[in-house]
Amino acid sequence: MLLLEKSLIYFVIATYLFITLAPLLWVLSTSFKPNPEAIGFPPQYLPGKPTLDNYIFVLTDPKLVISLFNSLAVSLASTGLSVAVSALGGYAFARFDFKGKNLLISIILGLFMIPVVINIIPLYIMLANVGLLNSIFALVLTFQILIIPLNIFLLKNYFETIPKELEEAALIDGCSKIRAFWHVIVPISMPGFLIAAILSFRFSWNEFVLPVVLSNRPDVMVFQVALYQFISLYRIDWGYLTAGINIALIPVVVLMLFFQKKMIRGLTLGAVRG
Amino acid sequence: MLEQKAGMLQPYLLLAPALAILTAFLLFPLAWNVYLSLHDVSLTTILSDWKYVGLKNFANLIRDSDFHMSLFVSLIFVGGSVALQFFVGMVLAVVLNQQIKGSNTLRALFIIPWTISAVITGFSFKFIFNDSFGIMNYGLGQLGLAPVSWLSDPGTVVWTLVVANMWHGTPFTVIFLTAGLFSINPVVYEAARIDGATKIKGFFYITLPLLRPFVIINLILITMWSVNFFDLILVMTNGGPLFSSTTSSLFMYRQAFEFGLLSKGAAVGFLLIATNLVLAYSYMKLLRSQDK
Repeated sequence: MLLLEKSLIYFVIATYLFITLAPLLWVLSTSFKPNPEAIGFPPQYLPGKPTLDNYIFVLTDPKLVISLFNSLAVSLASTGLSVAVSALGGYAFARFDFKGKNLLISIILGLFMIPVVINIIPLYIMLANVGLLNSIFALVLTFQILIIPLNIFLLKNYFETIPKELEEAALIDGCSKIRAFWHVIVPISMPGFLIAAILSFRFSWNEFVLPVVLSNRPDVMVFQVALYQFISLYRIDWGYLTAGINIALIPVVVLMLFFQKKMIRGLTLGAVRG
Repeated sequence: MLEQKAGMLQPYLLLAPALAILTAFLLFPLAWNVYLSLHDVSLTTILSDWKYVGLKNFANLIRDSDFHMSLFVSLIFVGGSVALQFFVGMVLAVVLNQQIKGSNTLRALFIIPWTISAVITGFSFKFIFNDSFGIMNYGLGQLGLAPVSWLSDPGTVVWTLVVANMWHGTPFTVIFLTAGLFSINPVVYEAARIDGATKIKGFFYITLPLLRPFVIINLILITMWSVNFFDLILVMTNGGPLFSSTTSSLFMYRQAFEFGLLSKGAAVGFLLIATNLVLAYSYMKLLRSQDK
């Protein structure tokens, strides 16, 4: 590599690395400043009097704590449900030939492409009419539409990488296909389930539009919505808010960094191969 | 015989839970939206009988200058976001694909903005671009430049949103095009180098043509997502000042949940669904032709 080329490459990387990390670091630094200092001008890069007060405020405010628990419950429940449901569906696509298979694949792929937000008005009216607004249960069900299509493709592709001979041995031994799935495929597909679970968690934890419309009563509010209410409720206390931001992004960023390589593979498997 | 029949049903049974959920919460609402857009539904009449009004909601939209404005705002927001995300994403994907040390660690760091939510991105940039105490204006001041009204000037606000959306969305393009670059056999570069082609030439004459299917699909996906994306905008500006940063998808949300005009929102939703279906259809067409 030429020196010029090399320096150009490192210049591009360094620049975008700065663009990527600077906002995060700035928010991180602000979260340790007392409220007046957080919006002080000129801004101080590092907190002059570092404090944990903002985090203590967020983690002791009853409304915010409830919403954190709601977020955790909704995310875990919808992750579990979607992985289970998508594993069954993905297995059907990977191992069976049946009428309408290609049509169904196309429909599900098409649905995955179409963002859920354009559904919020009919969903709101529908749930209002059956009395399921402000219900954690309904929230978990509606979150499925965000994740099931992606998970089905991810797991379908994963199952297809498993040699058929494994199940055939079990089938010869007299197992039904369903039993073969449960006893042979499920145990060795844990890495695939893990990718699906992490992506599901990320989508559920971060989702804002569905819960802001479908469940905005304090007792069923999720964290992203509670933070949003927080800015309209109080005048914006940026110290508190930046602490809230960091609490909201820690779980997903840690998961993603930890499983980064698997994620990239999983995402491209799901998105590209379809 | 009976057993065979049961065997044929198996795949449908396996798919039943997924299809039931998708039908109830995705397909049905998608179709029902058409019905809603032809009736008069508001937040106050949501539980009573709705009056059939034909195309009145659509007629109202055509006359609504705020809606016209939203189309224009969408055009800038989508055009700007797609152009920036694609250009920056492509440059980064190619650069990271050169043999450099720590490229995996770098990819992991670059991916962070995409893993965090739009709401969180919105808050962070609202803070950074604050007119009075934001660090952007402080930086401009240090350089001897006048402060900019990033979020309160109707002419600037959309571009500020485009920047925030670029930060949030670019990593997807980086990952997607990286997957595309991985699929290219290094042998073709070797051959080109022996023939004396420069790296730049190699990019335009070899990489880009081979990457074409990935590029097109990537463009369709980020276009579709930008068309519908509004949580970031909701948090940063709430569509304001007035309607100057209200994209069509945010216009839909505001009509429905700010002004309570659910069926007017549904009419906008119908237009958005049509846009999305066209985009999704072209995606599938291209994906199929790529398979062959």
